[in-house]
Amino acid sequence: MPEPPPLLAAEGLGVRFGDFRALGGVSLRVRQGGIHSVIGPNGAGKTTLFNALTGARPPTEGAVTLAGREVTRMPAHRRARLGMSRSFQVTNLFAELAVRENLRLAVQAARGRSAWAFWHAPSRLPGVAEAVEGLLSLTGLAARADARAGSLPHGGQRALEIGMALASDPKLVLLDEPLAGMGVDDVARTKALIRGLAPARTVLLIEHNMGVVLDISDRITVLARGRVIAEGPPAAIRADPGVREAYLGSTGAAA
Amino acid sequence: MEPRFPDPTSLGLLLAVAALPFVLPTVTLASEAVVFATGTLSCSLLLGGVGLLSFGQGLFLGAGAYASGLLLRDAGLGTAAAVLLSTLGAAALAGLVGFISVRRRGVYFVMLTLAFAQMGYFAVLAAGRVTGGENGLTGVPRPSLPGGLALDTPGAVYAVLAVLCLSAFFLAQRVLASPFGSVLAAIRENEARAEALGYGTRAFKVAAFALAGGIAGLAGAMHTLFLGFVPPNTIQLEMSERLIVMAIIGGAGSPAGAFVGALFFVVAAEFLAELWPRWLILIGLLLIAIVLFMPRGIWGAAQELLARRRAAAVPGLAADA
Repeated sequence: MPEPPPLLAAEGLGVRFGDFRALGGVSLRVRQGGIHSVIGPNGAGKTTLFNALTGARPPTEGAVTLAGREVTRMPAHRRARLGMSRSFQVTNLFAELAVRENLRLAVQAARGRSAWAFWHAPSRLPGVAEAVEGLLSLTGLAARADARAGSLPHGGQRALEIGMALASDPKLVLLDEPLAGMGVDDVARTKALIRGLAPARTVLLIEHNMGVVLDISDRITVLARGRVIAEGPPAAIRADPGVREAYLGSTGAAA
Repeated sequence: MEPRFPDPTSLGLLLAVAALPFVLPTVTLASEAVVFATGTLSCSLLLGGVGLLSFGQGLFLGAGAYASGLLLRDAGLGTAAAVLLSTLGAAALAGLVGFISVRRRGVYFVMLTLAFAQMGYFAVLAAGRVTGGENGLTGVPRPSLPGGLALDTPGAVYAVLAVLCLSAFFLAQRVLASPFGSVLAAIRENEARAEALGYGTRAFKVAAFALAGGIAGLAGAMHTLFLGFVPPNTIQLEMSERLIVMAIIGGAGSPAGAFVGALFFVVAAEFLAELWPRWLILIGLLLIAIVLFMPRGIWGAAQELLARRRAAAVPGLAADA
């Protein structure tokens, strides 16, 4: 059976910061409807890869295609309109505004020019309220909807960050360490949330929590020192001696 | 938490504006209050709505004042047309100044607005043959309104100024409680995040700056109608400062704060000036006290007090039972 074309593909991607080669010759094929994780020791180039894929910092070499369309040099906000969305490694919210308002602003941002309307209440934009309610229940934040975003515990803020990434109803979601700093309960809930995104959406995930990655991923790419050292389904990655060595060599028992 | 329109303060503003000429000792003082309330609103809208501190609002107020004076006296326009055109003209000028100024953030943005404000004053002095220079623009008529309402008594002038002032406040409340206003709040809270969501934050800031400039220009035209001449201090840097001081005293968080701040300042000036010629020292002390102890201004502090009383009332009832 022929493989369907990937939703997101990178071909020979490289990023240089002056003389430092942060990423070199990275090729990646993210299949539609799956959860694809990128793992690797600290400094392996995972966030650099994300920035190159999303357009936050375009690659110095190689090409990125999104749904068959070349987007290597396309600015980040135009890629977002093609259905790509990301969450940030560092929590970045409207801390003084309500949780609901954070999500509403994110939903409204995807509605283009209607954000310029100044003659009616924000609640009168059609479909926005429903989309916000949907995101509130999806992220498990419905009970805290009217709380200040800054008053949420860390796990809640991470969940809100994911909710905001989903607000544009993207086909492809890139999540940068969504579980970082979460307590055990939050990890379980967020893991279920991420798993539930596929197959309706495609997920590209950077995550250090190896247990979760091996559990929910359909496919895993392992980066080390800016290069792909292994790629395959979780079982194959778990058994790969090169991966074990890369991890034991740098961060010890991280695997 | 998010602003609404109309809200209880809309009704409060309406009642306050209706009551002012009867509560204050003179109608003239009431007129001065609504003129400065409108000018202060332009500062609050930028500071409280978008998080932009502009030292240039005096420039737009002055531009509106001079434009309306020239249109009334030299172009022979009617009152309504002169007010409308000076408001739009000030908005256009502010759009231009904003387009240049929002390219920088923080203190550099403030410096740019300050530089434009200074240029405005010296431009008025340089064009002395048109503007009257240091003497100001004298002998500005007050033509009757289209309906035949003559502006020949302080009460009639106040009525017109009151309607204009309320229009500006209701417009500001409407805009803040809209999708556009919610983006301004997002910019105020975290501009980088708003941009990452896909909002073109620079364009939103320019639009807000033009709107605030238009409101300042309207206040200038109201000032001209009120005095019947245009003193050069309408466009001096001190005007910009005074509007910011009023905005902070009242609390920049909402339009109602602008009204409270301007009213407080105008009334305090009236009474203190009689007691002591150096009354501005007292205003300075007051400003220091407010910034230190009531960062949300008189209106913000009053709202907090009200909320605390309401919260205290509920368990109080339970304890009685």
